Amino acid sequence: MSAKDSSPLYRPQDKVPLPPANAEVFTTCCDYCVVACGMKVYRWPAGGPHGGPKKSQNALKKDYPLPPLAGGWIGPNQVTQATYRGKLYNIAVVADPDAKAVNIGGTHSIRGGCIAQKVYNPRSPTRDRLQNPMVRVNDILMPVSWDFALDIAAEVSKHVLANHGEDAWAMKYYSYQFFENTYAATKLALKSIGTPAIAEHDHPSRVDAAPGWTDIGYDIFGAAYEDFALADCILLSGTDPYESKTTLWEHWFLEGVNAHKTKLIFVNPRRTTGVAYAEKNGGLHLDVYPGSDTPVHMAIMRVILENGWEDGEFIKNWTNNFWETDSGFGRGTRNTPWQWRTTWGMFQTNGFEDWKKWLLSQEESKPEVAARIAGIDPKKIVLAAEMLAKPKPNGERIKTTICMEKGNYWSNNYLNTVSIGDLGVILGCGGRPGQAITRLGGHQRGGSSAAPYPMMKSPYKVPGRRRLEIDLDRWVESGHVRYAQVIGTTWIQSMAGSSALQDAFKRYTKLNAHQVRTLDKNGIVETLKKRVDSGGMVVVNQEIYLRDPIGAQYADIVLPAATWGEEDFVRANGERRVRLYSKFYDAPGEALPDWKIIALLAQKMGFEGYDWKDSNEVFEESCRFSRGSRIDHNAIRVIARRKGMRAHDLLRTYGTTGLQAPLLIDGERIVETKRLHDYQRKDIPDTGPEGMTIHNKRLLAFNSHTGKLNLLKSPWRHWADFYGFMQPKGEELWVTSGRINELWQSGFDDERRPYVRQRWPANFLEIHPEDAKARGIESGDWVAVESDRVPVQTGMNLGVKDGELWFDGLMKRGHIKLASGQFTAVAVVTPAIKQGVTFTNFLEMNSPANSIVPRVPDPITQNYRFKLARASVRRIGESPYKREFARMSFKRRDLV
Amino acid sequence: MNENESGPGGACMKRRAFLFRSGAAAVSTVVLPALPGMGGEALAAEMARYPRKKIGRLSVLKLDAPVIFNYPDSGPSSQSVLVKLGVPAGGGIGPGEDVVAFNSQCTHMGAPMAGNYQAGYQVLGPCAFHQTLFDLTRHGMVIAGHATESLPQVLLELKGDDIFAVGLIGLIYGRHDNLVSKA
Repeated sequence: MSAKDSSPLYRPQDKVPLPPANAEVFTTCCDYCVVACGMKVYRWPAGGPHGGPKKSQNALKKDYPLPPLAGGWIGPNQVTQATYRGKLYNIAVVADPDAKAVNIGGTHSIRGGCIAQKVYNPRSPTRDRLQNPMVRVNDILMPVSWDFALDIAAEVSKHVLANHGEDAWAMKYYSYQFFENTYAATKLALKSIGTPAIAEHDHPSRVDAAPGWTDIGYDIFGAAYEDFALADCILLSGTDPYESKTTLWEHWFLEGVNAHKTKLIFVNPRRTTGVAYAEKNGGLHLDVYPGSDTPVHMAIMRVILENGWEDGEFIKNWTNNFWETDSGFGRGTRNTPWQWRTTWGMFQTNGFEDWKKWLLSQEESKPEVAARIAGIDPKKIVLAAEMLAKPKPNGERIKTTICMEKGNYWSNNYLNTVSIGDLGVILGCGGRPGQAITRLGGHQRGGSSAAPYPMMKSPYKVPGRRRLEIDLDRWVESGHVRYAQVIGTTWIQSMAGSSALQDAFKRYTKLNAHQVRTLDKNGIVETLKKRVDSGGMVVVNQEIYLRDPIGAQYADIVLPAATWGEEDFVRANGERRVRLYSKFYDAPGEALPDWKIIALLAQKMGFEGYDWKDSNEVFEESCRFSRGSRIDHNAIRVIARRKGMRAHDLLRTYGTTGLQAPLLIDGERIVETKRLHDYQRKDIPDTGPEGMTIHNKRLLAFNSHTGKLNLLKSPWRHWADFYGFMQPKGEELWVTSGRINELWQSGFDDERRPYVRQRWPANFLEIHPEDAKARGIESGDWVAVESDRVPVQTGMNLGVKDGELWFDGLMKRGHIKLASGQFTAVAVVTPAIKQGVTFTNFLEMNSPANSIVPRVPDPITQNYRFKLARASVRRIGESPYKREFARMSFKRRDLV
Repeated sequence: MNENESGPGGACMKRRAFLFRSGAAAVSTVVLPALPGMGGEALAAEMARYPRKKIGRLSVLKLDAPVIFNYPDSGPSSQSVLVKLGVPAGGGIGPGEDVVAFNSQCTHMGAPMAGNYQAGYQVLGPCAFHQTLFDLTRHGMVIAGHATESLPQVLLELKGDDIFAVGLIGLIYGRHDNLVSKA
């Protein structure tokens, strides 16, 4: 194609209005990744007057043009218009140039940097925000009133509870959203209704994502962001903060690399931009096959132990010895996850020496064996061990930090988290500056729970004493769910084996005989009652946009939600920093915040305790439920009350810095917590362990009964059956997935931003040049990625004897069916991806990678292995992006 | 980039003198052959407020050897690169449609990138601050990174052997208006 036909898809203005000196200023944080950069919002009347380029003339108090690194530049993507109380305003949203925490100096990602374009503006692609409640009649979603829609939802809910039991009433909801919303949702589901059929957006069950760490005694978000700038060496497993936790990279990791010569060791099948930069700066890339981390961890530990490089003093002081382990103090009580996991003697050890003996006896801990399984050079294992643990020439220990994300724990959940946790223990990670062990996180941390999960109501039992939380996907597929409240998640594409899951939804909703064909409210209720009584399901979806298929095809009722910027909300980030997200404009149409929608529904169902007047009242009620948690913020409510303030207003005074939890109270003072497991900490208030706040032992020690860490076994044989089944056969390639820097989650905002859409107009598949050549694939070609061997666990599984619920056991008992799954993508041929492996976006709505992901949760922990799929890859034609200049780029991302 | 010749804070006198001699500051209303997909005359009207500056000669451009110039003025953030990529590019001029020009301040936080051209890859970057990469064949689109705008593309016009800068698509980092270079 000739250049003559080219025009950029995104054509911004070449000038922007500046906020005048008297513009209103609000503080908030970015709505997207876990880092949550502090942001400032400027609001002034749309008709002006606008600000001028002199610092006296604009609200940023800066002279324009700004010099490099000034922070606070307002480009075309930072401005929009929005309505507040019936009046049109100009809105500018910028990363806070005055930020004192997180994104110091006003750095930001491409995602957060463009967040002004998230704001509803009928003159922008956000114009299709949901504005009215809708009910599906004759398969058309028709706008109705709130009362009309919620009366139906409440009547059907009551009918389901009365006739089918509370476990037939399900909730699938976000854990990433704000405390006010997650508190209201869990209050309805867990406290008022008491259903065990509840799951968050990223799991089939309400479970722990890094259970190995939990069992060892590590909190999963224990670090302070400064730890990444203070470490001598950092192991990053299954993630690249450049791609997905941008400001961590831009500020904290780069400060470490540039100022302290921090060496970064990445474990990732992709050579991402961050990996390439690390290598250039003395770092190391362990380019492992998906799911092969455990032997690599074990081999690194063997090298460390054989050289005596472990942190002996830390191990002596902070790991459970034979007596502590054997007497149960280190293990936990009956009927805890720990109890079950240890029943069969598979994982627990009697202290360091016992564990060491076990590790050295394992074939997989030999570097050459581990390297063969992982497909890497064994020399890299030895080098990694040296970088992580070899003392400095003067004998000093180096400060090592370990961080991980989903490439690690969503390929092999239990064994990977156990083995990397063990590595942390022997390196002395946890609690000291620059010596942290933490998840980096994905979404932000807004989960609040108004009541515990009713485990005793779950019918899932496994060998031994323990129950498992309901696997909601399997519960739906088995026909047990008659009513599903779906809040802020696509559910289907974001869960594993999504094609098979979609079949189940269709079967119980669209293909059921009882479809609404009247606008008479009673008639609708009667039809839907008949549907649920006949084994069908009613779906109610709270969302900001109509999502396909959950809302567009399967929901009977769609309820418009208000979101970021449209209500005052509170949430924590990945270093447990709690901040207020200010409202600065009005939600579109009749959209209501989720807490309010839930309150209205609950009241119509006859439940009490939902008469909150505003989000602050929800927040204040929710605060006490955070006590003792890593994001304990009850102090905000307590101190605000003493000062005669609303809790939201007190938190607002802390701006984009917020307060770092757990928060403690010392007299009238709020005491923050920089890092957990801080055993050298001296400022714990002397107010006792219980009260307005709870002094959890993880403040000063580790999270086991003794406060010490457990070294656990990670026996490869308990993974080998499933891994063997999932390894590519014949022409198949590994297909792993993850975040790409420029996109956030399902793309609900990105697809409405021309600037981002020009970069990623379609799904992509990174493929190695040799694999591409063998298939006749070039960059820009459409490819089909397909498998007809997607294992899906089915039926209600009662495990009695050991091994019955392992993969081979499930296969033998007929609980695994093989489904088909497929998606299309545009090929990006690049040597940055390991040969034999391909990489795709984890959640493209119209070509979901999860369709080929095994729907067989880790039998120990109920986590999906999202990053572990394999499929055939074949060319199906040429995409328009191959030869045009307006959309998509096929250039290498690892040019540093 | 030769730091002595031109920096992010503005061009030195020598270069500025060269640019002005080359016919800067004339207002162009020509139809733009480089980007007709963008609607020739309408674009020309949009660009009418920009100066028309001669920035180089096609015959002396060497493959993958960027030429630094300043546009639309010599003020802060005006530093730009003119480069012959060797492959056709969006907005490219010349027989190979491979000659393009971009403002070279990173649109993330303003680092000067004129010296960061990756020969053979048609890529500007990585930005020295935070490693953003831009694709010069695709209108300065972000390849990977944090910038919230594509690199502003300098619209080019070829008259005989002379290359003129006649406008800009996008806003230059640090400015609120491309044509306002000081407070």
